[in-house]
Amino acid sequence: MTHAARFHGVSQVFGDFTAVDNIDLDIPDGKLTTLLGPSGCGKTTSLRMLAGYLAPTRGTISIAGVDSTRTPPERRNLGMVFQSYALFPHMSVADNVGFGLKMRRVPAADRARRVTESLELVGLAHLSASKPKKLSGGQQQRVALARAIAIRPKLLLLDEPLSNLDARLRIQMRAEIRRIQAETGLAVVLVTHDQDEALEMSDEMVLMKDGRIQQQGTPQAVFPAPANRFVAEFLGYENFLTDAGGATTTIRPEHLALSVSERTPAAETGAVLPGVVLDVAYRGVDVLVTVASADVSGARVELLADLRAESAPDLTPGADVWVHVPATHLVPLAAD
Amino acid sequence: MRTRHPIAASLAVGGYVVMLVPILFVVVTAFTAGSTLRFPPDGFSLRWFEAALTYEPFTSSLLSSLMLAAISAVLALALGVPVALAVHRGALPGRSVVEGLFLSPLIVPELVVGLALYQQLMVGFGLDNFQTLLLGHTVLMFPYAVRVTGASLALIDPAVEDAARGLGASPGRTFLSVTLPLLRPGLFSAALLSFITSFNNVPLSLLLQSRDFRTLPVVMLDYVQQNYDPIVAAISVLILAGTVLVAVIAERTVGFARVFGGINR
Amino acid sequence: MRGRTALLVLPGLAILLVAFLIPSIAMLFSPPGISPGEVFARLGRMLTDPYDQAIVVRTLGLGLIVTVVCIGLGYPIAYLLSRSTSRWAGVLLALAIFPLLLSSVVRTFGWLVVLGSQGAIPQLLLTLGLVDSAPQLLYTPLAIVLGLTQIFLPLAVVASYSALAQVDAGLDEAARGLGANRTRTFWSVVVPLSGPGVVVAATLVFAGAVTAYTTPYLLGGSRQRMLSTQLYTYSSTTIDWAAASATALIMTVLVFAVSGLSSLAARRGATS
Ligand SMILES: Nc1ncnc2c1ncn2[C@@H]1O[C@H](COP(=O)(O)OP(=O)(O)OP(=O)(O)O)[C@@H](O)[C@H]1O
Ligand SMILES: [Mg+2]
Repeated sequence: MTHAARFHGVSQVFGDFTAVDNIDLDIPDGKLTTLLGPSGCGKTTSLRMLAGYLAPTRGTISIAGVDSTRTPPERRNLGMVFQSYALFPHMSVADNVGFGLKMRRVPAADRARRVTESLELVGLAHLSASKPKKLSGGQQQRVALARAIAIRPKLLLLDEPLSNLDARLRIQMRAEIRRIQAETGLAVVLVTHDQDEALEMSDEMVLMKDGRIQQQGTPQAVFPAPANRFVAEFLGYENFLTDAGGATTTIRPEHLALSVSERTPAAETGAVLPGVVLDVAYRGVDVLVTVASADVSGARVELLADLRAESAPDLTPGADVWVHVPATHLVPLAAD
Repeated sequence: MRTRHPIAASLAVGGYVVMLVPILFVVVTAFTAGSTLRFPPDGFSLRWFEAALTYEPFTSSLLSSLMLAAISAVLALALGVPVALAVHRGALPGRSVVEGLFLSPLIVPELVVGLALYQQLMVGFGLDNFQTLLLGHTVLMFPYAVRVTGASLALIDPAVEDAARGLGASPGRTFLSVTLPLLRPGLFSAALLSFITSFNNVPLSLLLQSRDFRTLPVVMLDYVQQNYDPIVAAISVLILAGTVLVAVIAERTVGFARVFGGINR
Repeated sequence: MRGRTALLVLPGLAILLVAFLIPSIAMLFSPPGISPGEVFARLGRMLTDPYDQAIVVRTLGLGLIVTVVCIGLGYPIAYLLSRSTSRWAGVLLALAIFPLLLSSVVRTFGWLVVLGSQGAIPQLLLTLGLVDSAPQLLYTPLAIVLGLTQIFLPLAVVASYSALAQVDAGLDEAARGLGANRTRTFWSVVVPLSGPGVVVAATLVFAGAVTAYTTPYLLGGSRQRMLSTQLYTYSSTTIDWAAASATALIMTVLVFAVSGLSSLAARRGATS
């Protein structure tokens, strides 16, 4: 596998605060890689170092195999889409998109053609004469994307590109960005704090916390096998149980089953724990049931079960239930 | 305006009377046919305007004032905008100290600055009065140049400048093609404010005057002290007209209250 | 990076030093042809001399009166404008700001036309038969107060307006909704919240009033000397450098003291 970019022991220290802590990271070529993590974990800082806006305190960054640690942003040839879009408010859409080409002294005729191409790719060719302020958020976002793509960058960097859009548009743009990535074959790095977005869009996902990488891999590899409790929590594993050997395991809410009569259908092997219903939240398709219970080690735990609405038993808070924990879905976790 | 605050309203009316009525009287008096500042005026004529426009000390000092205001405004911007850039964009250690220094001419009384420059630079150091005036006015405009352009710089999303760099523009190119155009309203406001402030300045211009170079306000002060005729009313009306013109230009471009009131409605 | 940033500041800083900071400090210690220390000796004599004391007292007194009048008139203007929804409010605000742009010589000259012995007010009083001969209004403390009020009222309006505009009008309504009447609301919600802004406005007006030259010169003349007119006389008529520098020092200390007090008050207000 070739690498579009590579972080080598990179740290970023602001004063006495380490925002990025000694990360090694390979960005595969021609794929969409997401940086996923909670607010303040160092995603933007990593991206800004990659783009050349911040010099790493330690370590090196290479782009397409060339050490670029000290290369200024204007000579990295990367396309970046900022969270605020950062369109030039005093230029038309076409001039925004053509800016990078102008800086590269592309002749006017070529430039016009490539601007149109890029705008067509995002479906906005008809707005080329407008000023950015006249556009909706989603349109501005597409212009920013077209502007970044127009320079035919080595790598496309997107910092939370969807977070300023409303929910419907966000879903729509996920597919749009995937399509553009596929059509252009560009390597893309996308920063997000939304795990659904990362799972849906990534070829490769990188989970970060406190400036460190927690886990990296394809969504198919990472999701069923979170490496530690942080990753599990971040991906929506709500239930944490200590097993007989004292190790921590986790299981997703949709894998728990509840029954009212004692120990009935124990279809699968695994533990059956007694508990008391604390809360029932009906959500149409499914029902979320919170149960106070104790795990096999005897520790008190609160478990969350996500049941399909049509097959869920009729429960009210205070009811005694049995919680079935199928062994096949239990994921062992490494310590943090 | 009808009001539910009768006390506040009567105080406000009083305030407007004090602010504006004397100016109205100047306007009325300027059109008198008589030769004193008597009220009510004796008839109507434009003779005092003609007199004002042909009175050499007024015309030459008007040119001096305009020139001084223009040059010092340009100088203040040329020196002050880089400071604003350094304070808001650069890696400047002690940026608040630097900004404070450049705003400090605003808190020292102008008369004191004038005295200091007169004593130390003109008498002590032997600079001529035009050079000293230029330096003094430039320093007095620094706060506007630094603060007003700084405020509009703070409104520009730094990501926009980053974006230009990422697209291949060098720092210089980024400044010229992105920062500067976005800064234009701020620069324009700062220039107008500086120009007006310099043009109207009395304390510095008074202390630093010489027979060869005097500004219009200083000549007017002198004239009023010696003579009591409506020629000053006429020149005042001309200044008023010029000031209204500046206000209209400000309103048409950046917005009057934004330029002069520091008010963002 | 740092080096380049410093380069941006350097030219301006050089001018600031040469044409402001160094001369201002040198003025206190070595006016031309004067031995160091003489300025302070002169200052000591001034502070005990009844003639000079009277000037300081007059300057302070008139400065205070002007400040009170400017806030007293300017705050209501700003309050009404900030709470008005009328489309005239913008015009009235512009009318209050506009005098700031107009030469203080022109504005003060207006009072010569109004208060001079042949001016509007004395002539009106004569015509109405209220007085036998034109009263002397120029060169009185009243003339100076009127003139300085005209000059600094716009400043008071603008500064109060900025403060009041930041007090959410919704708070007024909330207070009314909780049962406070209009007067109670004004004094217990609007005034405390805009207070710090008013302190700033008052400081600006006071500092301006005690250092203004044009108005005391034209409307006070030699009968109502203030620190500013005195400073000019020392430096340009009698050429008494030590006295001029000492006067400048008094003026500067006065302004700095008031600014210092007001920012102290603002900080107190912010913490309490
Ligand atoms: N220039 C700076 N100086 C000091 N601290 C900084 C600077 N830039 C970022 N930080 C800190 O570094 C940490 C990481 O910031 P970063 O912007 O990379 O987070 P992020 O993962 O992008 O978070 P978010 O999801 O909120 O955008 C934060 O705690 C932030 O406060
Ligand atoms: Mg971020």
